[in-house]
Amino acid sequence: MEFDVVVVGAGPSGSVAAMTASKAGLKVLLLERGPEPGSKNVSGAMIRPTSIQNYVDLSSAPVDRDVKRVDIGLFSSQGDLKVSFRPSSRLVTLSRLKFDKWLAQQAENSGATLITKTTVTGIEPSDGKKKVLTDRGIVEAKSVILSEGANALISMALKIRPEFSPKEAVQAVKEVYSSTKDDITRRFGLSGDEGVAFRFFIDYPLPSAGFLYTYKDSISIGVGAPINFLLEKKVRPSDLLEIFKDRTGLNEIVKGMSLREYSAKIIPEQGFPSWKACSEGIYLTGDTIGLINPLEFNGIGPAIASGFLAGKSVANSSSCYEYEKSLYQDKEISEVIRARPLVRELLKPEKMSTYINLFPRLMNSWISGNLTDSGVRQFLPKIAKDLILSFGVIG
Amino acid sequence: MKLEEKLYTLRYKRDENPHLQIKDREKCLDCTIKNGEPQPCILVCPANVYSWIDKRIVISYENCVECGACKIACPYENILWNFPRYGLGIALRYG
Repeated sequence: MEFDVVVVGAGPSGSVAAMTASKAGLKVLLLERGPEPGSKNVSGAMIRPTSIQNYVDLSSAPVDRDVKRVDIGLFSSQGDLKVSFRPSSRLVTLSRLKFDKWLAQQAENSGATLITKTTVTGIEPSDGKKKVLTDRGIVEAKSVILSEGANALISMALKIRPEFSPKEAVQAVKEVYSSTKDDITRRFGLSGDEGVAFRFFIDYPLPSAGFLYTYKDSISIGVGAPINFLLEKKVRPSDLLEIFKDRTGLNEIVKGMSLREYSAKIIPEQGFPSWKACSEGIYLTGDTIGLINPLEFNGIGPAIASGFLAGKSVANSSSCYEYEKSLYQDKEISEVIRARPLVRELLKPEKMSTYINLFPRLMNSWISGNLTDSGVRQFLPKIAKDLILSFGVIG
Repeated sequence: MKLEEKLYTLRYKRDENPHLQIKDREKCLDCTIKNGEPQPCILVCPANVYSWIDKRIVISYENCVECGACKIACPYENILWNFPRYGLGIALRYG
């Protein structure tokens, strides 16, 4: 069987790539290794519809709750600081399984063929085309889009990208608790379909970032830390999650709810443009090339943007240079690229710890009436470099 | 709640071919001398896939949540990673 393009992986990036290529009239095969789209995918899952709307029509997308409040919490040795914001743009939470299924359905509606339960095991060149090897046989295609996630075995085997080093990847673990819709609405002081999101940081036993998201009848809680931090401090990720829940009071919040799922994911902190996004008719997208904005906890946006651009590139027979140029020019993706130097700096353990402690320390000195002795001034030289780097990120 | 109990919440279908393998067992001995216990793979695995029994790494691959952290943590690039075949392995319900 021959296709114009085979897309590997039916996550948000792959499905949007398949949809875009199909809409342009290409014969598209979308392969998913899980039993259904989304069944291998893990994320907190909050999106900003206005930025995704440019690539895919979200009007019929299954969204869970409209996020009306975001709580930021810094839990440090200097004290705890919590602030609440009302987001100025629309943010919604979604269940990945439902959303990923819906997106794959959009690809199918546009004419793509979706085959699940099929693992791609390799790609070989054949007369200017590609042979895609799977556990169920071989398919041929003119081009391939690899949207295989962070643990990108095919891209690594083809040597288009390297493996992450421990300091370039965050290990995140996550739990999902279920309840009734009313109970969640009541527990978080919401009304109707309103939701909340938490972004909490702890500095002990190692600097880590975590979250809580509310869905219709469930919530998720997760925490992550760079793999090198975990190795150095000898803290297991499953233990970190327990410490995180205890330290931030989330243990109290989930009391009486039942644990429904436990999962883990690697969050890339580096990738394109240090890595290539394309090689001889093979286009890489999303997590595969590390397109996550860790400052904004946003992976789905850049994944969808790159999927869209890869679909377009295949349809237009664009060169690798043109595809990579289109990635640079995209708003979602250029934000990821511009944040890279700052992210590298913030991922140093002492730096992360400094920031988690800075504001609680300042507040603590203020309420204690000894602001002049706060010691915050000693942090300023450490922060100066980040301020300069942040000029490229914060508009 | 213990990790073992958390892992019970997962739907899992076992591929009889292990999708994780150690390439060279000698390197695990070197690693243990250099890094001590728990070794990096045991430490970062969120699902107790790896254990050190009688000076050997034992892999319970049917516990694997397919994150890929072990391969990144292994200082010897000594873990051979494949994805489970035919839709087997973990199947999340929430994701």
